[in-house]
Amino acid sequence: MRTLRNLQGPALTLALLCALWLIVIVGLLALKPSVFNLGTLTTILQFSTILALVGLGQGLVILAGGTGIDLSVGGAVSLSAIIAMLSLKLGLPPVLLPAVCILAGAALGALNGLLVNGLALLPFIATLGTFFVYSGVALAVTGGAAQSGVPAWLLVWGRGVVAGIPVPFLTLAIPCFALAGLALMATAWGRWIYAMGFNERSARLVGIPVDRVRFILYALSGALAGAAGLVSLAWLGSGRPNIGQNLELESLTAAMLGGIAITGGRGGVGGVFAAVLLLVTLKTGLLQLNINTVWQVGIVGALLVFVLLADRLSQRWRS
Amino acid sequence: MNGRELSLLVACLVAIVVFSVASPHYATSGNAVTVLRNSVELLLIGLGMTLLLAMGGIDVSIGIVMGLAAIAIGRILGADGSPFLALVAGPAVGALLGCVTAAVVVLGRVPAIVGTLGLLGVYRTAVFALLGGQWLSGLPSNLTDLLAATVLGIPVPALVIAIAYLVVWLAVRRTPYGLHLLAIGNSEEKARLSGIPVIKVRFMTFVVSGVLTGIAATFYVATYRNVEMSVGSTSALDAIAAVILGGTSILGGRCSLLGTVLGVLLLRILQNGLLLIGVPSLWQPVVTGVLIIGVLGFEAVSNRLPLTRFQRARA
Repeated sequence: MRTLRNLQGPALTLALLCALWLIVIVGLLALKPSVFNLGTLTTILQFSTILALVGLGQGLVILAGGTGIDLSVGGAVSLSAIIAMLSLKLGLPPVLLPAVCILAGAALGALNGLLVNGLALLPFIATLGTFFVYSGVALAVTGGAAQSGVPAWLLVWGRGVVAGIPVPFLTLAIPCFALAGLALMATAWGRWIYAMGFNERSARLVGIPVDRVRFILYALSGALAGAAGLVSLAWLGSGRPNIGQNLELESLTAAMLGGIAITGGRGGVGGVFAAVLLLVTLKTGLLQLNINTVWQVGIVGALLVFVLLADRLSQRWRS
Repeated sequence: MNGRELSLLVACLVAIVVFSVASPHYATSGNAVTVLRNSVELLLIGLGMTLLLAMGGIDVSIGIVMGLAAIAIGRILGADGSPFLALVAGPAVGALLGCVTAAVVVLGRVPAIVGTLGLLGVYRTAVFALLGGQWLSGLPSNLTDLLAATVLGIPVPALVIAIAYLVVWLAVRRTPYGLHLLAIGNSEEKARLSGIPVIKVRFMTFVVSGVLTGIAATFYVATYRNVEMSVGSTSALDAIAAVILGGTSILGGRCSLLGTVLGVLLLRILQNGLLLIGVPSLWQPVVTGVLIIGVLGFEAVSNRLPLTRFQRARA
């Protein structure tokens, strides 16, 4: 009991998430024993890849504080996938498809960074605007139709499975999280991000290039959204203009559930990773139980509200 | 009327002239009625959103709140309930959901954007669960007849909007509430330290916004006599865009109700006109998003430019 009581911060978050995860799995198993097999595990990790990449970007933006938030992630995922597919149709060499997809995302993210930094717009209103622009353009230029023609070699990567684990998860999601975790813990950049999230004024006073870090984080969030778009292309075999639907809500929930404080400066990416797995397990389980997908958005939304309220309550208890 | 409101009025007139030249179907009395008709709900929601944004809040779930209120009204009408009960149901559901939002955002001290985004997800599922995947259609017309009537030659919707506008205007300009609202928008901490009942004012504003949205739902049901699954899905964005166009500052301290009214009209004129000159409706959210960013970006840039000689002379 003593060890449990001594748990704090990230360790407590991880312990709670693991407990929740176990509850979800046991609950699903009790309702439908045939739910979990190797195939389901692969599906969960496959779905997790997209949410993990987007959630990582979202988490880093929020961590850096300054009321940072990126509501445009879902739109950026859809639009970067569509931009990549359309440039393929315009004669782009297929080899460059992954680069174009990620760069397109980075450019969309950089636009957010410009609005937030250069014009000093409030992040939530600037990215709300770009969310509707990005997702709207993705739908409007395609008329809502999926764009086919993904090169075969990309499908090999996107649909490959090694020991039950999807290749994109192994080669993209895990390295990204490992790099981000290392950067946060062991580099000056990581310290800067925590410092500016904790207190932006003092961060500026000690000479941290707050504006540059923040711009790069928004661009990074966009680039990760582009990478998620690439995963969707390689997995589904076509560019769907609505693939990013609800990702702003889900990535926010993952970041909050993962223990990142909405005010910034507190939390880590390990928690986000665990929260993504928990969310996707829950969603996949509900799907297996034949519950309409409309319920997912409600459950994820309710989780978000619950986590935020619980965070406030626990802060009050501690103080 | 200040410069902002004047330029909005000019923008409306310019848009009307341009669209009239571009499309032969535009400058008809029927189309004018359509534009005004389409503005009714947004005007009411926009008044509430003006208050929310002016105090540094926001509610992205407000469109679905209208949907839920519309479902309640529709159910009462469908069960042959009295029109009186149906008239009360909208504002009542709106107030109730306003309380829920306020409980999360104000009492729970959650940032408004994140809290209402979570509630948006919950409400969307609620709409689906309540409708069961079907439309609520073929509702009786007793509410429609009631709200299509005229009082002294003035259509009821215009009358209701005028009364709502007057009440909100009086509250903002002639009572301490308005001062408190703008002070909170400017700095919540400073407002609290100066003895303003911050929690009470913020809670009340969310409830007021809910009530206005409930009234909007009544007009929605009366007009369309059905409730579809995607009800209100763009209302929140449209309302935010209209308020920002109108010159209310999200950073607090500035709030323009007349600007919101003109912003709603300009938005609806643009949406209607673009549709008539053949731009697919899929582009509508893009246009609205660009308007939001464009207006805010323009304000940010012009605030930073050195004052013109004229401005310096005035200052």
